[in-house]
Amino acid sequence: MEEDEFIGEKTFQRCCAEFIKHSQEIGDSWEWRPSKDCSDGYMCKIHFQIKNEPAVSHPGTSTHGQTCLPMEEAFELPSDDCEVIEAPEASQVIKYEYHVLYSCSYQVPVLYFRASFLDGRPLTLKDIWEGVHECYKTRLLQGPWDTITQQEHPILGQPFFVLHPCKTNEFMTPVLKNSRKINKNVNYITSWLSIVGPVVGLNLPLSYAKATSQDQRNVD
Amino acid sequence: MTDDKDVLRDVWFGRIPTCFTLYQDEITEREAEPYYLLLPRVSYLTLVTDKVKKHFQKVMRQEDISEIWFEYEGTPLKWHYPIGLLFDLLASSSALPWNITVHFKSFPEKDLLHCPSKDAIEAHFMSCMKEADALKHKSQVINEMQKKDHKQLWMGLQNDRFDQFWAINRKLMEYPAEENGFRYIPFRIYQTTTERPFIQKLFRPVAADGQLHTLGDLLKEVCPSAVAPEDGERKNQVMIHGIEPMLETPLQWLSEHLSYPDNFLHISIIPQPTD
Repeated sequence: MEEDEFIGEKTFQRCCAEFIKHSQEIGDSWEWRPSKDCSDGYMCKIHFQIKNEPAVSHPGTSTHGQTCLPMEEAFELPSDDCEVIEAPEASQVIKYEYHVLYSCSYQVPVLYFRASFLDGRPLTLKDIWEGVHECYKTRLLQGPWDTITQQEHPILGQPFFVLHPCKTNEFMTPVLKNSRKINKNVNYITSWLSIVGPVVGLNLPLSYAKATSQDQRNVD
Repeated sequence: MTDDKDVLRDVWFGRIPTCFTLYQDEITEREAEPYYLLLPRVSYLTLVTDKVKKHFQKVMRQEDISEIWFEYEGTPLKWHYPIGLLFDLLASSSALPWNITVHFKSFPEKDLLHCPSKDAIEAHFMSCMKEADALKHKSQVINEMQKKDHKQLWMGLQNDRFDQFWAINRKLMEYPAEENGFRYIPFRIYQTTTERPFIQKLFRPVAADGQLHTLGDLLKEVCPSAVAPEDGERKNQVMIHGIEPMLETPLQWLSEHLSYPDNFLHISIIPQPTD
């Protein structure tokens, strides 16, 4: 039986490399950071967002009960500087830093992130919970302490917020099984990040899906 | 001959005599006396220091008090690490009591996790237990338990109830009859000399030929610098719960008997004391 929801560390690193290659092609700013002893590493991206601007709305909202591919749902956050008529107050701009690490315990990728205002003031756990998009709020409120909490970054040793991996598997499996049926060459990281990323304000441009799939098919 | 089960009690009831002193720059209305407490090795700082907090807050004004945090010789103490691990790693070569400084201002955001409530400690503890079972049993045992069993594990730790805790925890220490141990051993190895907070890797308790792996085997594989002898003399101590187990000890046995309540073996690599 294929264990779709698990990947080995080497596969993780390979998928990250492919992901970053595409990121470089489109000017998205993901990069690989090796750990000091170079035995492993993580993917990293920094992203600025204006607070209280609603996160991108997803047609069809929730991640379960949908037959369309996750890559079809995730789309790029409109470029903030084109949309805003007046310059946002500095206090409303938040710097997000996203890290993708591998968990050998759960054998899946894990999303770590931290957020601060431009003056360096960090966001609190409460701020983060409140900032979660409406369509994920219900799930979050069922068990906030099981979903997003503050944890020590396993490589840097600094406080980060983390999206718990055990919850991730719940919604990864059916979606992955379905997407792999249609698109055998889908990049695991692309699929996974397009599902978990939006929960914490991270959206992927559609081109990631097109870049890794060599087996294009039109899905209505 | 001591029963193996006695080891479980000795580990659970380990205590560290500690002296808490208020940081000199904190603003007080009168002099703050130091506070002495025996800390449980297997618990967490923010879970067992309510009395410490109350003691110092009595001599302070409400407006000068924000989130409490602890420090030892300039190093902020991570409340999410078990107390015994912090002591072994940072202070085991110093004389007792353990001298900890208490702060109510200038929370070090870059170093420490916030601890907004007991719920945060429970969430952290349960998260570690779940991760340990993911390694030992692919999460099957812990997921089969009811919510009330999870609660009992937490309440057992919180209220220092050995029997209450182990009534449930013993199930997490079982393995299928046809195997010789867990799938992988939950462990973390800590050294103050590295940027990386700890080493954690997949490691099986039993070799392909059925031989039980030892503590020495683990270290050789994941942390060779810890045991490489220099001129025949070992540079480092390998410490768990304040003792140095023999490197020949089977890892499976250590996991069943010397794990912390979160079911992890938290191992400190510290320099040999110079005296």
